[in-house]
Amino acid sequence: MEFDDKGDEAVNYVEARLAKLSLGGDRRAFAELVEMYKDRIFHLAYRMLGNNQESEDVVQETFLRVFTNLHRYDESQKFSTWIYRIATNLCIDRLRKRKTYYSLDADMSDNSEGSDWYSLLSSNEKTPESHMLLSETQEQVRKAIETLPEKYKSVVILRYLHDLSLQEIGEVLDMPVTTVKTRVHRGREYLRKKLENELI
Amino acid sequence: MVCKEVLPLMHKHFDEDITAAESAELSIHLRTCEACRRYFQQLERMEALVRMLPKTSSSGLSTERIMNSLPPARKRISLYRWIKRHPAASVAAVFICLMLGSFLVLWDENSQLVVKGADLEHIVIRGDTVYVPAGKTVNGDLIVQSGKVQVEGDVKGDVVVIDGSIYMASTAHISGHVTSINQGFEWIWFKVQEWFRLISK
Repeated sequence: MEFDDKGDEAVNYVEARLAKLSLGGDRRAFAELVEMYKDRIFHLAYRMLGNNQESEDVVQETFLRVFTNLHRYDESQKFSTWIYRIATNLCIDRLRKRKTYYSLDADMSDNSEGSDWYSLLSSNEKTPESHMLLSETQEQVRKAIETLPEKYKSVVILRYLHDLSLQEIGEVLDMPVTTVKTRVHRGREYLRKKLENELI
Repeated sequence: MVCKEVLPLMHKHFDEDITAAESAELSIHLRTCEACRRYFQQLERMEALVRMLPKTSSSGLSTERIMNSLPPARKRISLYRWIKRHPAASVAAVFICLMLGSFLVLWDENSQLVVKGADLEHIVIRGDTVYVPAGKTVNGDLIVQSGKVQVEGDVKGDVVVIDGSIYMASTAHISGHVTSINQGFEWIWFKVQEWFRLISK
């Protein structure tokens, strides 16, 4: 198991210890883990799903699954990889349950039929960012990510917003690095095209 | 829009997975190709913008709320679950208990005189002594527990005395082994041998 640097290794040691303590029944240790990851998981879910309520649901469910499956956690794996995998899969499941009309192959045509319902939903409710002034550009970026086809969405979010390495993304999504790379590339091209007007 | 052969290099650059040679090749191309240069710069800006998207966090979802939604701490794993998780150990434990149980039962019987043998027709028992009278033959093994054995006749087999004593007269003739066992491990070992013998029949 390779860690990118000593800092990484130290962090994972702490997390693995907390996981072990939690397994032994130490609720405070688990609360620490919740504290460490709840924002990151929310951030991941929010970018994937686009609305507050669902994102909160995913956060709750992720921790519930982590809690009840602590005995399955393998210490040789990074804790972050494990929890991200649970959260990402929950998000992907929800995305798939929606009736979307995304074309999932490399068709870059601007297709917002399916996303309309949900972008309508999210634009009506108070988003966590509503109190933050998003510049118009950032707003465009946010929308562009939201309309990413599901295939590319998770890799782009994990790569750009969570700084996971391509290797880690492969582990989280349980796919070969080559597939991850292809999807990152396509995601990049899609976003460039979507944001062409902002990127002069 | 963009030169097809160069696009993969651009991606390699942004993956941070590009060799020095490839990087040089890319630079040279970008210097001369306007379309690619624009494309590359767009990718650069796009990456920067995306990375800079502010992180969202839900103030509504506190650690406390999350912890409260978790099931109550599991009590010590119940015996049932332990058995489920360790089938081999459970079976071994049950087996050992049974064996110990049967040993203990046998152990308990040791105060009583026990005479075992295939042919006991001519055996005489008086008090705590088992006699093989002179001139008589025992066809088979003779096992006596918690008693004395006096052999004056013939035994066509082994004689085993457990927690007792054996006296052989000059007229005695035992064709097999004479074993004297006392309490303790010898006894256990003997029992195990007996058990194996039983199985092998």
